Amino acid sequence: MALVEVRGLKKAFKKGGETVTPLDGVDLDIYEGDSVSMMGPSGTGKSTLLNAVAGIDPPDAGTITVAGTEITSMSRTKLADWRAEHLGYIFQTHNLVPVLTAYENVELPTLLASLSRSERRERVELALEAVGLTDRADHLPRQMSGGQEQRVGIARAIVMNPTLVVADEPTGSLDAATSAQIQDLLVRLNEELGMTLLMVTHDSEVAQLAGRRLQLDGGQLIELNEPHAAMPSPTSGVLAA
Amino acid sequence: MFKFLPYVFKGLWRHGMRTFLTAGGAAVALFVFCFVASVQEGLNRLTDGGDADRTLIVFQENRFCPTSSRLPEDYARTIREVPGVRDVMPVQVWTNNCRASLDIVVFNGADPQQLRENRGLTLTSGDWSAFENRRDAAVVGASLARRRGLSAGDTFSIGDLSVQVAGVFTSPVAAEENVAFTSLEFLQYTRGLDSAGLVTMHEAYLTPEADPDTVARGIDDALRAGPVATTTRRKGAFQASTLSDLVDLIGFAHWLGFACVGLVLALVATTTVMAVQDRVKEHAVLQTLGVRPGRVFGLVVCESLLICLIGGVIGTAAATAVLAFGGLAVGAEGVTIAFRPSLSLAATAAGVSAGVGLFAGVIPAWHAARTNIVAALNAA
Repeated sequence: MALVEVRGLKKAFKKGGETVTPLDGVDLDIYEGDSVSMMGPSGTGKSTLLNAVAGIDPPDAGTITVAGTEITSMSRTKLADWRAEHLGYIFQTHNLVPVLTAYENVELPTLLASLSRSERRERVELALEAVGLTDRADHLPRQMSGGQEQRVGIARAIVMNPTLVVADEPTGSLDAATSAQIQDLLVRLNEELGMTLLMVTHDSEVAQLAGRRLQLDGGQLIELNEPHAAMPSPTSGVLAA
Repeated sequence: MFKFLPYVFKGLWRHGMRTFLTAGGAAVALFVFCFVASVQEGLNRLTDGGDADRTLIVFQENRFCPTSSRLPEDYARTIREVPGVRDVMPVQVWTNNCRASLDIVVFNGADPQQLRENRGLTLTSGDWSAFENRRDAAVVGASLARRRGLSAGDTFSIGDLSVQVAGVFTSPVAAEENVAFTSLEFLQYTRGLDSAGLVTMHEAYLTPEADPDTVARGIDDALRAGPVATTTRRKGAFQASTLSDLVDLIGFAHWLGFACVGLVLALVATTTVMAVQDRVKEHAVLQTLGVRPGRVFGLVVCESLLICLIGGVIGTAAATAVLAFGGLAVGAEGVTIAFRPSLSLAATAAGVSAGVGLFAGVIPAWHAARTNIVAALNAA
């Protein structure tokens, strides 16, 4: 059974008096441990699909089921709870809270769970270690480079060991060298930590890192390669539950 | 929610100047609010206090200023015979200013023994024997002593009056702490008053079962045949009537207090709206991470509440300190209203701060909680 099942997803919106339909009955299955990239020209609806799967942009029609839970009919509050428990979101522009340190930014999602202070600390330290930023824990975002900020954003996304990690152009705002570091990190997330990853990218090099590559065109998804076998779920490693 | 408090505090700290100015504005407004409310409370204490209904003031008919009321001292004998009267204390009043003033000095000349029996004064320094045995001695109310820097043993001179301070007293009636008491004879023979055998008024103390209005009519009827006609009223009514001009002003100032509350509301609401507008994206990020809309609402309201409470507490504390140590009073025609801090006033001010803070934050918080996450994330 697929971890993420998207069925008949539709989304349309008005743009300059014209109705645009970026998602027109999209079907998609993502299996546990998959690494999936979505490519396509700007405005084709890649981010719309990603945000719908992330539960922050409700579709007009269709269903999305993640780990057996249908999220399309949930209220905003239930969706927030679901995201806190199951989803890690990596933003293009990291979106760290500027007045919080790296440690405090990564700690934010753990505040939503019933964890003791020591449990929270353990998780945050593991996540920062996983992205190689233990020594920057006390730094504010403005005291870090763009790449470091993005790594903090990734640590924040994985700190609760989510069911699914989604990334919207995770290297879109970085230079080539920093982008390579982030690409390595994303590969590690999937291959070493076994996290299921769905990412949107313009960068074909980044897209090549994923086991499955999809293209969204004319409101429909096209598989660019044969999906590989689902990876086993993590039973060990720094972020295993 | 408490786990997010550091986030709230840091949110306030990030715009330190804005937070400081808003809290400062709230502090000033609550300072004024407390002042206005303390004047209102002082007036209420004066007109509704325990002795306001159980003491009658016998004054010369159609006279208002103490200097113009001149009643024979021996009216006391006639008044004492009216049924319902327990005791009568002739009082000579001297004031440095018959008009409304913030630094009014009032002397009441009365028999020291009757003063002790009827006024419930407590000496905090000095002793009664010095007051009773020395003709030019005076006991001074604590507020007046504070305002004029007086203590036992000092000489206090004002106009033609010069007294030795025999003690400083507190009173259950706050306004009396703005008064100095001397012996009756001393004031009667003071240069310029020329009041031998005359007094400004008589204070009639009632028996527990007496009806004040019936006794007041009885007194005026009994004195109708005398050389000077009288008007007798309850003490509270007499003081309210004497201060009628000020009462109107205080009523107007009451609206000033409400205006201050409105000012704080507008100020804090503006700051909160600005804070929310600055952080539309941040609130969307929080919701993407799994923070419930209700919690985002709570975080914004919490910021608004904290700003208002910080300002409110500072303003209230400053007002309380000034009211407690300033010895301020406003008065007219020998009657004073004491500005006093009180626990109920401080609690009201804190409650107003909290209420305004909550109210000011509701609409911005609602917008923050209901924001379209994707649109906010895509905002520049």
